[in-house]
Amino acid sequence: MTTAPPVIETRGLTKRFGSRAAVSDINLTVPAGCAFGFLGHNGAGKTTLIRMLVSLTRPSAGVIRISGQSLAGHREQVLARVGAIIEEPRFHPHLSGRENLQVIAAARGPQARQRIEPALERAGLGDRGNDRVGTYSQGMRQRLGIARCLLADPRLVILDEPMNGLDPGGILELRRLIAGLAAEGRTVFVSSHLLDEIEKTCQAAAVIDKGRLIAQGPISELIGDTHTRYELTCDHPQAALSLLARHRAVVQASQAPSGLRVTLADPRAAGAVTTALTEAGITVTGLAPVRTSLADRFLGLTSQIRGNS
Amino acid sequence: MNHATARQMIAADLLKLRRHRPTMVTAALLSAGMAIVYFAFIEARHHGNLAGPQALSDGASLMGNYFGAFAAILIGAEAGTTDLSSGVFRDLVATGRSRTALFLVRIPAATAITLALTLSGFAVTVAAAYAFHGSAAAPTASLALEFAAWVALATVVQTTLAVGIASLTGSRPVTLILVIGWNTIATGILYLASFLGSARDLVLMIALGGLFPGQQAGTRAHPGSSIALNNFKLPMPAVTAVLVILAWAVIPAIAGAWRTRTRDA
Repeated sequence: MTTAPPVIETRGLTKRFGSRAAVSDINLTVPAGCAFGFLGHNGAGKTTLIRMLVSLTRPSAGVIRISGQSLAGHREQVLARVGAIIEEPRFHPHLSGRENLQVIAAARGPQARQRIEPALERAGLGDRGNDRVGTYSQGMRQRLGIARCLLADPRLVILDEPMNGLDPGGILELRRLIAGLAAEGRTVFVSSHLLDEIEKTCQAAAVIDKGRLIAQGPISELIGDTHTRYELTCDHPQAALSLLARHRAVVQASQAPSGLRVTLADPRAAGAVTTALTEAGITVTGLAPVRTSLADRFLGLTSQIRGNS
Repeated sequence: MNHATARQMIAADLLKLRRHRPTMVTAALLSAGMAIVYFAFIEARHHGNLAGPQALSDGASLMGNYFGAFAAILIGAEAGTTDLSSGVFRDLVATGRSRTALFLVRIPAATAITLALTLSGFAVTVAAAYAFHGSAAAPTASLALEFAAWVALATVVQTTLAVGIASLTGSRPVTLILVIGWNTIATGILYLASFLGSARDLVLMIALGGLFPGQQAGTRAHPGSSIALNNFKLPMPAVTAVLVILAWAVIPAIAGAWRTRTRDA
């Protein structure tokens, strides 16, 4: 991640459909040059926010700045360097992949035309570019969508649920493509409800629920993983449990299906706890940190909101 | 938007239309195809003695009022809705290009195709008029040019009207029914409603009829002749006709541009 100014910045962004707020008072900051996950349940407001980012629909209130420029005041200039796939990639089915890119390149200006062939090659469609899009698989359409994004030589690539409908091979390929784009210094904004994918692909993320932004930041911070929870296996679990309950470095100890679950006040105390157990004649056969997943954190966050409401 | 980008965008819209085979085949059959069928039928009926000016008039009416016009409306409706129906409109909007520009390029692209089709159909007419006049009067080149210009005018206006209405409604079937229904059935009724007087001049096909180089044709003018080629000609000042025709092109275009600018993509 670089220290460049945020590539996306929204302040008080709101979209209402009648009395219902699909997106409410969103203050989102997406750092430049990283893969950024945008998480939310279906219907949480992800696509509505993306549609506002690329000017498909107007915000009811709030400000959008892309690469420091206001979208409202510099729409053409700002979007010239943004590539986006919104919902599923759509094309003229009677045209070939190459011709579909020509259609978008024409709207983007003369330089975009020169990017058609490299974009097709990069998306792995160099040999299928002359085939009608009607004959393409879902994965090929997704890749053609990425090729279409590349026509802009984008600073920002927005992908809305890009893994939908892809087979494992396609997902792997897309993951590589996203990593490659981020490695080139482009910002890739990926909306998804596939938490595992976001965790594998992105360095930072934001969580939206019921139209409200409930968390954002680097993935490690979001997960809040300080490595204080451990799974411990030993030859005398009951004796170990009673010792751990009295140990001052242990916040909590309990029986778990595969051993003992131990929460420490400080991860550096793991060694001291193991020594104490060994000195008490207990053989420790395993001590491994329990990793909190993004899915755990996401479900915790969103259920918390549900509980409050 | 500079000229190079405008040219590219028009070429891209032309590409979308040209490659849409069902629409192009249907439009070609309606224009040049119907001209061939019509003159084959007329030639069989008149055995090589078809009066040249009458042939030009029939052919021009066929292209400007009927089958050629249907082809123009079909292409115009396709041009106005193809991006929306394929879902590509949102991707075009997401490029940042002005929505007005996205609308405007549809008109020259569609018009280029419809002019090629209806003028091809009229070329069939001219060829038939020269080839089959026999002992009857031959058509003059100046009359052929006058009719060709009228066909071109009718084609441009009807294509623009269809692009505008299609962009406004976002629906090809609705556009086809509205425009063809208005230009044929509704216009036919209004044309005969003499109690409306000069208010009828405001109807597009009647205004186009006002500039038609031929004579009034149809059942009332020529009892017993084909009603298929009625040209809706009523006496009216040329200026009125021009202004009405202009309004029928400009107002739907403005409406279509407005909807393209305001619609959620």
